[in-house]
Amino acid sequence: MTVLWSMLASTSLAFALLHLFIWAKGIQPWANLSFATAAIAIAVITGMELMAMRTTSIEQMALILRWAHLPLLVLWLAIICFVRCYFDAGRSWLAWLAVGLRAVALILSFSTGQNLFFDQITGLKQVAVLGSETISIAQGSLNPWYVVGPLSTVVLAAFVLDAAFTLWRGGTDTGRRRAIVFSSSIIFFLLTGTCHSALVNAGVINSPYIVGLSFMPILLAMSYELSFDLLHSAQLSDQLQDSEAELRLSKQRMRVAARSGELRMWEWDIVPDEIWSTDDDPRLYGISEPQKISFEHFLNILYEEDREQVRHSVERSFIKGNGHYESEFRITMPDGQVHWFNSRGRIEFSEDDQPLRMLGVTIDITRRKQAELAVQQQRNELTHLSRVTTLGELSGSLAHELNQPLAAILSNAQAAQRFLAHGNTDLAEIQDILKDIVNEDKRAVEVIQRLRLLLKKGEVQHLPVNLNKIVEEVLKIISSDLVNHNINVNIDLAKKLPAVIGDRVQLQQVLLNLIMNACEAMSHTNADRRRLFVHTEQNGIDKVQVSVGDQGPGIPSESLGNIFEPFFTTKLQGMGLGLPICRTIITAHGGQLWATNNTPRGAVFHFKLPTSPGESA
Amino acid sequence: MNESAPTVLVVDDDPSVLKSLARLLRSNEMNVATFASPQEFLDQSEPFIHGCLVLDIAMPNFNGLELQQELAARDNELPVIFLTGHGDIPMSVQAMKQGAIDFLTKPVHDQDLIEAIHAAIETNRMNRRAHDELNEIRKKLSTLTPREREVLDHVVSGRLNKQIAADLGTVEKTIKVHRAHLMTKLKVRSLADLVRLAERAGIKSIAPNRHDGQT
Repeated sequence: MTVLWSMLASTSLAFALLHLFIWAKGIQPWANLSFATAAIAIAVITGMELMAMRTTSIEQMALILRWAHLPLLVLWLAIICFVRCYFDAGRSWLAWLAVGLRAVALILSFSTGQNLFFDQITGLKQVAVLGSETISIAQGSLNPWYVVGPLSTVVLAAFVLDAAFTLWRGGTDTGRRRAIVFSSSIIFFLLTGTCHSALVNAGVINSPYIVGLSFMPILLAMSYELSFDLLHSAQLSDQLQDSEAELRLSKQRMRVAARSGELRMWEWDIVPDEIWSTDDDPRLYGISEPQKISFEHFLNILYEEDREQVRHSVERSFIKGNGHYESEFRITMPDGQVHWFNSRGRIEFSEDDQPLRMLGVTIDITRRKQAELAVQQQRNELTHLSRVTTLGELSGSLAHELNQPLAAILSNAQAAQRFLAHGNTDLAEIQDILKDIVNEDKRAVEVIQRLRLLLKKGEVQHLPVNLNKIVEEVLKIISSDLVNHNINVNIDLAKKLPAVIGDRVQLQQVLLNLIMNACEAMSHTNADRRRLFVHTEQNGIDKVQVSVGDQGPGIPSESLGNIFEPFFTTKLQGMGLGLPICRTIITAHGGQLWATNNTPRGAVFHFKLPTSPGESA
Repeated sequence: MNESAPTVLVVDDDPSVLKSLARLLRSNEMNVATFASPQEFLDQSEPFIHGCLVLDIAMPNFNGLELQQELAARDNELPVIFLTGHGDIPMSVQAMKQGAIDFLTKPVHDQDLIEAIHAAIETNRMNRRAHDELNEIRKKLSTLTPREREVLDHVVSGRLNKQIAADLGTVEKTIKVHRAHLMTKLKVRSLADLVRLAERAGIKSIAPNRHDGQT
């Protein structure tokens, strides 16, 4: 018996040490600490039981039984703590009640009788257990307050049961298993220990106290759970290693992909304003700073012309419900070369819709951009060439436009000379002549400016343009041609036309082409029927439409689909590039160009352009 | 003969050009009248004025060539000088065929314009003189009796008095008297003068008659 009880005590202590150790490592510290405490309390109780069965003096027995209630209180506290920490369940009032009753039992054990069990121990009975050993069992009159002990046990059992029930309903497999294992072992321990002690005290059973022994299932359950946890953590550690390796691999893959795609990932913590890039080769992007930079710092790296545009698109992405950022910008590299980048990002918002973080990528698009620019340049060349050709066709009329003011100037000047030569100088007349000369000179300059604008080979502009003005300007340029061809013009311009965003010269070119085509279409029309229609109108809220109609033979229906194809022409002279270029220009302006046949005769060319938001002219 | 000072009529739809041309011509001490369109010219100008017309070719609705045609249709022989912004060959050919005096390009040098105008006015003067003379002759011819007129036709055709008498069924003497009368009426002294006058008046020699064939 001595050996068995010693083993029990040492097992309990061993468990206690193990859990103290785990507690020191800090995983579920309170659960481990309370379990360790419970194990220590059990070890103490087991020791006391051993001492009780070995004692031969009544006083000593009474003292042991009185002090035994102290480790019991500790045990109670430890069990409650453990259940609360490990299960995260249990009603507080039950816990308090159980602990309270146990504390009362401790107080009663010291204040009434010899201890809580016995009012008076009358003698010690020597009993032989398991044949070999003889143990002492106390005998005497029972303490009437004895019932407080089992009562606290029942309350504690109820607390555990309640906690287990809560856990069971909580639902996970592990939770249910734990609920069953722990609650049943704790309740088994409580009821067995208490009932057995009561029976021993009442003298019904002659056996030593087995509180320590009945605690064993709890230790077993605990070690069972512990082994699960160990197993689990081993698995987790394996998995962690695997996923770490995988993470490393995918990071590597990502880096290779990023490098080969000339892609750079970045992150911007908006609140502390820190931009941080994943790339460890800053040379790739010309940014020499590997450390975090602020947004303003980032803007300063960019090409000056691009800064506002980037800032604008970032601000736009902050708008609630948008969160998407995209912009293109240039950076001058350390070697002096300018590179183009495309940057895209997504904003993470806080719960109150404040932008928190932006994650994104930046791609070097220099090559694509260069190709685009080359194409753009070629298109501009072609557009310009076609414009020059168009004006070449108009040269006669343009000469006339210019000759009119020149003729007036020459005649005025020679008249003045003649007046002066005669000597009968009328100064008022001379003054009038000079004024007219100045005015005519201005008129000639205007004509030249109009032409120079059209002949100019410049960058495509994107400015607000009023199409009514374009119509008027083009009609001025072409007016003498219209006169020469005996063509009457019907102009119908919308009174208030919103502006469109575009290139004035290119839009003039389109209109000039369409009007010249219309004139040409009417070259075989009866002179008194030659009539050109130019009409502007607002089309819907955000479109402006211009129509140019003629009274010619119209477009044969089989050609309607082809007239915008390059090199398709019905004229003897002409490359067949006028209309395709017109369509290219209109498409580049975000608009459409199309043709219809008019009834009863003639063709109409229409183009539609988006209006510029917020602008009206 | 009407020898009032000649007037230069200018038609151009460009007001500044019109004004400067008028000024230039006035500085050369010419009488000028300006018109902003061919229609205005037709409506307002005196039809058979002494002078010439300076006409812009390219004008909307009613151009210079059309005005020239219109004048020809109205038997108005006013000489025309064309002005154009750019030399268009088909246009100039048509203008010259229609009898234009000159075809000048803008800007026009005053010398060229003045010369052309002088030439045009001279032409106009000649035309008018010829016109006046013809009127004179027609007036004289109208004083002849039908018989005298008949004799005139035969004389102009180069027939002898004897032949004429035979044709008209009378005697040579009578023919001689008629001949003397008509010479006096037409104020000619010789046969040569008579023939010239008849030619001017557009009197054609009569077809040779059958007697000639028989003789």
